[in-house]
Amino acid sequence: MIRFERVSKRYPNGHQGLDNLDLHIRSGEMVFITGHSGAGKSTLLKLIMCMERPSSGAVHVGGQNLQELSSDDIPYLRRQVGVVFQNHQLLFDRTVFDNVALPLVINGTPPDEVGRRVRAALDKVGLLSKEGSLPIALSGGEQQRVGIARAVVHKPALLLADEPTGNLDPALSAEIMALFEDFNRVGVTVLIASHDLPLIAKLDHRMLTLDQGRLITDGE
Amino acid sequence: MSVAKRPADPKRKAPKGAARSERNWRHPLRSWLGSHRASARQALHQVRSYPFSSVLTVLVMTIALALPMGLSVLINQVEQLGVNWQKAAQISVYIEDGVSKERQQEQLAAIKTLSGVANAQLLDKELALAEFQQHSGMGDALLQLSYNPLPSVIVVTPSSIEGGAAALEPLRDRLAAIDGVEQVQIDLLWVERLAAILGMLERFTGGLGLLLIIALLLVMTNTIRLAIESRREEILVVKLVGGTDAFVRRPFLYIGVLYGLLAGVMAWLLLAAGLAWLNVTVQQVASLYQSDFALIGMPWPDGLTLVMGAMLLGLVGAWLAVGQHVRAIEPS
Repeated sequence: MIRFERVSKRYPNGHQGLDNLDLHIRSGEMVFITGHSGAGKSTLLKLIMCMERPSSGAVHVGGQNLQELSSDDIPYLRRQVGVVFQNHQLLFDRTVFDNVALPLVINGTPPDEVGRRVRAALDKVGLLSKEGSLPIALSGGEQQRVGIARAVVHKPALLLADEPTGNLDPALSAEIMALFEDFNRVGVTVLIASHDLPLIAKLDHRMLTLDQGRLITDGE
Repeated sequence: MSVAKRPADPKRKAPKGAARSERNWRHPLRSWLGSHRASARQALHQVRSYPFSSVLTVLVMTIALALPMGLSVLINQVEQLGVNWQKAAQISVYIEDGVSKERQQEQLAAIKTLSGVANAQLLDKELALAEFQQHSGMGDALLQLSYNPLPSVIVVTPSSIEGGAAALEPLRDRLAAIDGVEQVQIDLLWVERLAAILGMLERFTGGLGLLLIIALLLVMTNTIRLAIESRREEILVVKLVGGTDAFVRRPFLYIGVLYGLLAGVMAWLLLAAGLAWLNVTVQQVASLYQSDFALIGMPWPDGLTLVMGAMLLGLVGAWLAVGQHVRAIEPS
């Protein structure tokens, strides 16, 4: 599903995001990426999303070499991927329903199907009753679950999460991780960047550790 | 709606997730329409969320539209009045003093047979004096005269005044050649002057219109630029979940068209009301000149052109802004 071949990313300010990274994540896997901040976790996710381009090396996602994508193709790549952000990236002037519906509106899903799929996704994260609320009225954990519903509503084959439990207490964090495991169980490839080591250790999944842009352990 | 059943669904279909999330080709038209409806709704939402600046923008655009359009409508209608006057353009043929009434009738008959003459009318000197006394306001002074100073005149209406006074020269020569004609005068100068003045006003209006259209585009571009900035976060999120540049652009283009529509309709109303208001005094002035001229207000086709043009200008202004700014906002 994801293959990195000798990928380096050096930023204009001289920071080395990734250093000669080789990596293969198979379809249907659930993988954690850990490491200190600045170790390259976010860079790795951004390369998969085409938010950044590698300085050298090749990134393949779903068999597609991202180097070959023009900037006009990038939106169509992103539609195949669901992303969960630490800071939710919700639109605060829209209802929960409208936030979750966004990926479907973008890919032109007919309105009746949008309604069905949004409610299914909200039901999955336990927020069906909040579809008409504004995100500001929700707790941090609920906002994060809205973010997750938005990431899965269009049934992507690949789900990325950048510090999805960053601001949550341990109990809520465990709940969120359980949700990701549910998606993985139905075949979605899940890639989570997190430095919540105690939580990750409790879950039995492959864990990659990055340090200064290099892969130092691969707990396969 | 089987909401409760839905969570079981992904289990069956998950392996085909990637294929399922591709565009739904079964309803391309519905998708396209739905997407446009959503963009239009967003545009409306944006315009309503900033009522004060929206109203200001629309008013500025209204004035920029109404000013040149109003002048152009006025000039057009005065020009039509000019056309009527042109029909009344005359050649005055002054008859020598002492020519008998019978001879005058012969002259009139001769003139009527000339080519290029639409009509001819004899204004005999007694009739001319009576008319002059009545209309000149010098009636009493004229009564003091012991003789009638006015000559008999045959008023000739040329069938065409195309080409101005110069084109009427041959006719004038033929009229002058008639026995007993003292002088032939072509009263065309003022028609030509009017045409020249109207031409100048038209050019002035064109220049003013061009400047105001540029101003309108700048206003539109700036308004859309601010709208884009105010929704920077949203654009980032939309791009992150796979929104194309075209999708991001669309609501802003709708905002441009919406502003154009509002400004166009407002300008139409303003002009219709303004012309009606002006018409009262115009009719007063016209009646003093024994004319039943009146402004015909804002004609429908002109109004529709105005609204369509305003929408187009809004679209172009918005396009100029989004072309620059939407591409520049990229998640990083």
